[in-house]
Amino acid sequence: MVNIELKNVDKSFRDLRALDKINLRIKDKEYFIILGPTGAGKTTLLKVIAGLVKQDKGKILFDGKDVSELTPAERNLGFMFENYALFPHMNIYDNIAYSSRVHARNPKQTKKIVDQVLMMTLLTGRNDSLPEEMSGGMKQRVALCRALMNLEQSKLLILDEPLKALDAGLRMSLRRELLLMAKSSQLQLTVIHITNEEEEAMMLADRIAVMNEGKIIQVGTPYEIYYQPRNLFVANFMSEINYFEGKYIHESPEIWNIHKESNKGDKLFSEIQEKSIAVPIDIGASSIFAGYANKNLFKKIQQNEDLLLIVRSNHMKIRLGNRIDQKKNALFGKIIRRKFMGVFYRFEVLVNINDSDKNIIVTIPASTEIHNKFREGIKVTVYFPKELGIIFKHPGKEVIREVLKLE
Amino acid sequence: MPNIELRNVTKTFDEGKVLAVDDISLQISDGDYVFLLGPSGCGKTTTLRIIAGLEEPTKGEVLIDGKNVKGIPPEDRDMGFIFQNFEIFQNMTVWENVTFGLEMRGFEESYIIKKAEEALSIVDLLKYSEEFPSIFGNPGLQKLGIARAIATGAKILIMDEPLGSLDPKVSKVFRHELRNLIKDLGLTAIHVTHNQEEALAIADKIIVMRAGKILQMGSPYNLYEKPESIFTANFLGETNFLQGFILKLLEDNKMVVWIRLGGPKITCGNNDGFNLDDNVIIAFRYEDVYLFPRNYPFEKSQYDWKDMEFFEAKLESSRFIGATKRFYLKLDSGDSFVSIKPGYYEENYSVGEYLKIAIHRKDIHIFNAPDDLEKELSLM
Repeated sequence: MVNIELKNVDKSFRDLRALDKINLRIKDKEYFIILGPTGAGKTTLLKVIAGLVKQDKGKILFDGKDVSELTPAERNLGFMFENYALFPHMNIYDNIAYSSRVHARNPKQTKKIVDQVLMMTLLTGRNDSLPEEMSGGMKQRVALCRALMNLEQSKLLILDEPLKALDAGLRMSLRRELLLMAKSSQLQLTVIHITNEEEEAMMLADRIAVMNEGKIIQVGTPYEIYYQPRNLFVANFMSEINYFEGKYIHESPEIWNIHKESNKGDKLFSEIQEKSIAVPIDIGASSIFAGYANKNLFKKIQQNEDLLLIVRSNHMKIRLGNRIDQKKNALFGKIIRRKFMGVFYRFEVLVNINDSDKNIIVTIPASTEIHNKFREGIKVTVYFPKELGIIFKHPGKEVIREVLKLE
Repeated sequence: MPNIELRNVTKTFDEGKVLAVDDISLQISDGDYVFLLGPSGCGKTTTLRIIAGLEEPTKGEVLIDGKNVKGIPPEDRDMGFIFQNFEIFQNMTVWENVTFGLEMRGFEESYIIKKAEEALSIVDLLKYSEEFPSIFGNPGLQKLGIARAIATGAKILIMDEPLGSLDPKVSKVFRHELRNLIKDLGLTAIHVTHNQEEALAIADKIIVMRAGKILQMGSPYNLYEKPESIFTANFLGETNFLQGFILKLLEDNKMVVWIRLGGPKITCGNNDGFNLDDNVIIAFRYEDVYLFPRNYPFEKSQYDWKDMEFFEAKLESSRFIGATKRFYLKLDSGDSFVSIKPGYYEENYSVGEYLKIAIHRKDIHIFNAPDDLEKELSLM
């Protein structure tokens, strides 16, 4: 059993507040991802949990027991670094068995444990290979084996950007392997894994904690983080987005006519929708728009209050011509750029809202072949189902610039 | 107008012991945004350096606009350079960073001011002229690098992993800005990366390299839809590979491939060059795998199914990853494969359920089986 709890953990390096009142619970057997940009405090958080850095304030509990005074070795966890840190002159067996030597286990016992972890990671029979003879995937498995050697009683594995150094194709397949290994019935690990790639987080996590500037912004399942982000930062971090500024207008009957278009069969999505309410917003277009807002975040709302509407580029839809259906969240414009990207086509559509130009980003699956109709210069309508519009209270222009800036 | 051509270029290092580039020929047309793509050690950076004049080829010729540029130093090749680590002068202001190169070349002051203002406006940094680069994050530094490169009036941009130092999130947005800028200015650009997703997203043309050789070149669409090797199919995009052998050659130029260990029999392809009993690999993209309930009433549907292959597989698990949802499937014969669908796809399938799988024959690629498929796919 490993239940981990952090209570009001602070850590500063001189003037830099690396961790700011971190409260977190990680459950036994959970694959937990800490996601955020460079400098968010992810690695510091990991090191504090592992005992490699001591927090200034707050408590760290493993299964209810305060481990703040324990050394990394006494915390009984496996640690795997970004670059694997394999010894180049040692073969697979010796690399894996090294920590046993440090722990002064007897050779017979060591061999038994090494054989076990080799079997779990499908490396049986490769004992004599040197790191230079191994593919990236094998090196990763060896590094993982070594981390697993330390897991005697507890089963906590800590991964610091374990896939960062790899080519894209390999990274994708190893994500899957990592997840299968962690969830395998022999291992059933509790994993804390940090990354700055949202796709990696979504592929692996049971739950994700999104961090920025030393704070945890949101903790949730991939569905919650994606469909009901807590703020603009989280929304933007998970994909390319479009945003519209507008004002709240009192319940207008017309928004209820915006048909439900998506996800009727998706139970997890429906659960999230139940925690949301439809909100009408006037963005200055010819009709009223609508999206959904989290009920908890949206209790007191005033007429004419400033709002922000977010629509992910892959939730935007596109069709030929300019028939703007009053029941839809729709804008009329012209395709100015079109680019094949593999799984998706990406379009930039120039629209006009309130006499100012705006580029709307739309991505559609490339395999449907409808993209052939959408060429540069063609007039189109872009629209989205209201379930896929995300509404926040307007955070202020400063925040929008700060979150979306590319300077 | 810059057209670039490499003819039979070879480059060796260490007195011929290391073969970095192995007899490659290529053409880059004016206004093309071209990527050199491949895993580390494939020779892409050496190729870039040869084009830039930073290395001389051991054999072969480099032509720019039809003229052999042997012996012409980089600064006289009408090229701007953009680096992964930006190479910005931190002790100079934004303005000085841009004007420095122009001053070194001895241009007149009025010309320098005009060019620097233009370049900084294009990347939207003119308002920061008097500031030092330390106010910027990585995207700002790279914009400054771009301004510096285009201020010289260079018509060719040489870029070595220009997005490599940006956070993945930032890079995914910034790459479109970079492309738009290059296209709007009508520049010819050569961009080296190991990141296939980046190349697919913004290139006009991709040159896939491996072990010093060019494997395939073409538009992202052509490479993606018509990969000529297992390596390219695997390196660009995500692809399922199933091993089998040729059971029958059909009269209409198709063939029947029997997936190993008693898997499905799949009719596909163009059988030119294949023989009965050949071991082959069939490859198909994750997104080209369509899923239906086992009892789906195909006969009642209006869609024409005649060019599709059908077989059954068991759903092992599924995973929501935002823009897409992944379905992991397994054949009774043991092989696994993946289907991806849009993230808001209506999923009513349960783990353990048998599904009907449909794949368009045009989406199935066939290759001769290599000795060791796993090794071939590990990109070593």
